[in-house]
Amino acid sequence: MKMFLRILSAERLKLSGSYIWLLVLASPAAAVLIGLYASSPAGGKPDWTILLSVMSTLHALLFLPVLSGLYTAMLCRHEHLDGGWKALLALPVSRTAVYLAKFTMAAVLLAATQALFIAAVIGTGLIRGIGTPVPWGLFLGTCAASWTACLPLAALQLAVSQAWSSFAAPLALNVSFTLPNVLIANSATYGPYYPWVQPMLAMIPHGQADYGAFNLPLESLLIVVLGSFALFLAAGLLSFRRKAV
Amino acid sequence: METIIQTADLVKRYRGRAAVDHLNLSIGKGDIYGFLGPNGAGKTTTIRMLLGLIAPSGGQVEIFGKDLRKERLDILRRVGSLVESPSYYGHLSAVDNLEAIRRILGAPKRRIAEVLDIVSLTGEEKRPVKGFSLGMKQRLGIAAALLGSPELLILDEPTNGLDPSGIQEIRSLIMSLPREHGITVLVSSHLLSEIEQMAGTVGIIRQGRMIYQDTIARLRERSAGEMRLVVSEPEAALEEAFRRGYDGMLRTDELRFSGMDDARVALLVKALVERGHAIYRVEEQRQSLEELFLQVVEGEGR
Repeated sequence: MKMFLRILSAERLKLSGSYIWLLVLASPAAAVLIGLYASSPAGGKPDWTILLSVMSTLHALLFLPVLSGLYTAMLCRHEHLDGGWKALLALPVSRTAVYLAKFTMAAVLLAATQALFIAAVIGTGLIRGIGTPVPWGLFLGTCAASWTACLPLAALQLAVSQAWSSFAAPLALNVSFTLPNVLIANSATYGPYYPWVQPMLAMIPHGQADYGAFNLPLESLLIVVLGSFALFLAAGLLSFRRKAV
Repeated sequence: METIIQTADLVKRYRGRAAVDHLNLSIGKGDIYGFLGPNGAGKTTTIRMLLGLIAPSGGQVEIFGKDLRKERLDILRRVGSLVESPSYYGHLSAVDNLEAIRRILGAPKRRIAEVLDIVSLTGEEKRPVKGFSLGMKQRLGIAAALLGSPELLILDEPTNGLDPSGIQEIRSLIMSLPREHGITVLVSSHLLSEIEQMAGTVGIIRQGRMIYQDTIARLRERSAGEMRLVVSEPEAALEEAFRRGYDGMLRTDELRFSGMDDARVALLVKALVERGHAIYRVEEQRQSLEELFLQVVEGEGR
């Protein structure tokens, strides 16, 4: 545990002053633009729930799955250059601790993205003059659920990123899994089982939409999310422990 | 002498081809061990196995008398390494690059200033590393290897790609380590000339096999020169030399004697002069270590 915290602290330092923090800003910034220009429903101002749905569509449907892969790819990028894995793994560290530290960093970056997204929704709502109190429970609940749904994707992408020395190949893989979201989100048959669409499904406020896969019980989402998370993380960890560097 | 690294029949096979073939490496405490061989001979593969980066296909590695398989972390805590090119985070300064490693090692903070001083990077430490020259990056890599106050330093081709003054800097740095810090050093190279001035022992590897392992002094003896004598009557002079117990030969009208010390040269010359031979030339022809190295690398094992 002590070793894990040490590696984590080193990983955090490695990211300081890196462009990765600009990426954290990108999706909330795009959501602000969408939120500001979304049309208000007839006869008044949008309420918080509608604003959240509008702003989260692009964010959760495309940005979150893509960012899950982008963060992990960036976390592995320096290690693939100039024999960084060799330098890192020749230190007195266990490979499991290194792998879990990298994964934790990806999870933290995703959590930072979600936190900024909530801030973006609230900021936009205030600008548009929504007078009612901020529904913290709804915001935190949906964003946390959607963050959880990103973890399996990050686990898979970390597995792929540590294995492939190319920066672009894992991203291409990730994007090609993410784009079908647009269709699958509307499918009641496939939606519940497709990991890339889960961040989106988890972010839709319950009762908002009653078509497609949008109104599934939480339990079925949890099984898909937790199952794929355990599978992807274990596969990546096993492969990393046996990796020849 | 205490042994620091000992490998027994170390083997690494890639698709049936042995990249490292029953290698027995033995490195004593406080030594600078020059690990030599042409490119692709298996030096880096061996070093990766010594650091536990790849698993051997067979054989054992013992470092500090401990089995690498069982006590990898305990061993690595006492080892510093630089494998192939130095790895660094370009957007971070030298201090931050070292700090990242220091956090993992749990070394004291003051160690950063100390290692920067050892590799003479003091004054450059706040600049982003992407602006460093190759030599500076290489020195930063050595500083990183020294951070955990290791007892054993493993450097893979640390002078690769450096200009002559850079090579000289790294060389004098490496030479100072056993003397001032009691560190044992394993340094690999494909050029004997880079190693011969600092190494105490050399191991020469070719196609994964160790073909020579001994002190550099012993290697020098092997390359000790031949005495060449040009005289007026070579045949008669050679007979005279044989009579006196010299082991020589005649080649293109010149007498050649090997393994001659000063006294024996003087005695032979005196004897020949007394016998009335005119001696035109007495020369020593020395085979350079580099020639010997090439001869060893290309000749043996065929």
